Amino acid sequence: MKESTRMLLHYATGLGIVIAGGLHLFTVFLTGPYLQNLAFSGGAYSVVEVYRNTLLAATLELLLIFVDYHALNGIRIILIEFHQGAKWERGVSWILAIAGILLLVYGTRTILIANALA
Amino acid sequence: MAEPLTSELRKALLGWFYPLRYNLEKWAYALQRISGIAVTAYFLAHIVETGNVVGGIGVWSVPTLGSARDVWTATVHFLDNPLFDTGLVVFGFMLAYHTINGIRLTLTEFGLLQGRPTRPDFPYEPKSFTKAQRALFWLSVLFAAATAVYALNVFFGV
Repeated sequence: MKESTRMLLHYATGLGIVIAGGLHLFTVFLTGPYLQNLAFSGGAYSVVEVYRNTLLAATLELLLIFVDYHALNGIRIILIEFHQGAKWERGVSWILAIAGILLLVYGTRTILIANALA
Repeated sequence: MAEPLTSELRKALLGWFYPLRYNLEKWAYALQRISGIAVTAYFLAHIVETGNVVGGIGVWSVPTLGSARDVWTATVHFLDNPLFDTGLVVFGFMLAYHTINGIRLTLTEFGLLQGRPTRPDFPYEPKSFTKAQRALFWLSVLFAAATAVYALNVFFGV
């Protein structure tokens, strides 16, 4: 992928995070007492209730994808600004891509299973 | 011949944390990177933390509700102490700063708020860091401080 495409995606995911992350912070902090929303179940926006709501779970998945890309690409930018070289850049990019995929798999597993919790 | 990696790293890190020779734009840059790393660290921890909603890393099929509840409740209990709450206050500051300053950078990326190109004159302040940009930078600092105060209220009930 071209560097400019990666940066365009960086800005696009940044904007996506503002929206999806805003919704996430809204459901955690502004829909009721924080401790109630942090509880496993009980309130309208308790942890399991949020995951069971497919629309909210889908925005969490989107947020996960956006942050995953944005964060790891950000680290990539920092690392390739530290030191320049084709080998370094390829190595950094691959390692971070693999780390990103692992994080995405683990986070998606959480969302899918939590969504299906009886 | 390229410099050895460690000396480059040292220089780069010194460049971030030795701010005396910097102008405001470089401060904004350094803070954007520091906050980016902080938010990334939180993101990693948050993925691990929320993994406990369904019972942790060993769980790859739907568990019973009770076992998931036990693991999550223990996790919340473990994280409920002043150290992690302080971390969340700092995270709030970093996230808020990164958001607004990130919007400023996005506008810059697409050529907005850049000002007109002019002749460089003494004292050679960067022309690209226009008044609107400065305003957005200070807005991001203000927003970050406000978020930290809000977080203090939520987590410590000040």
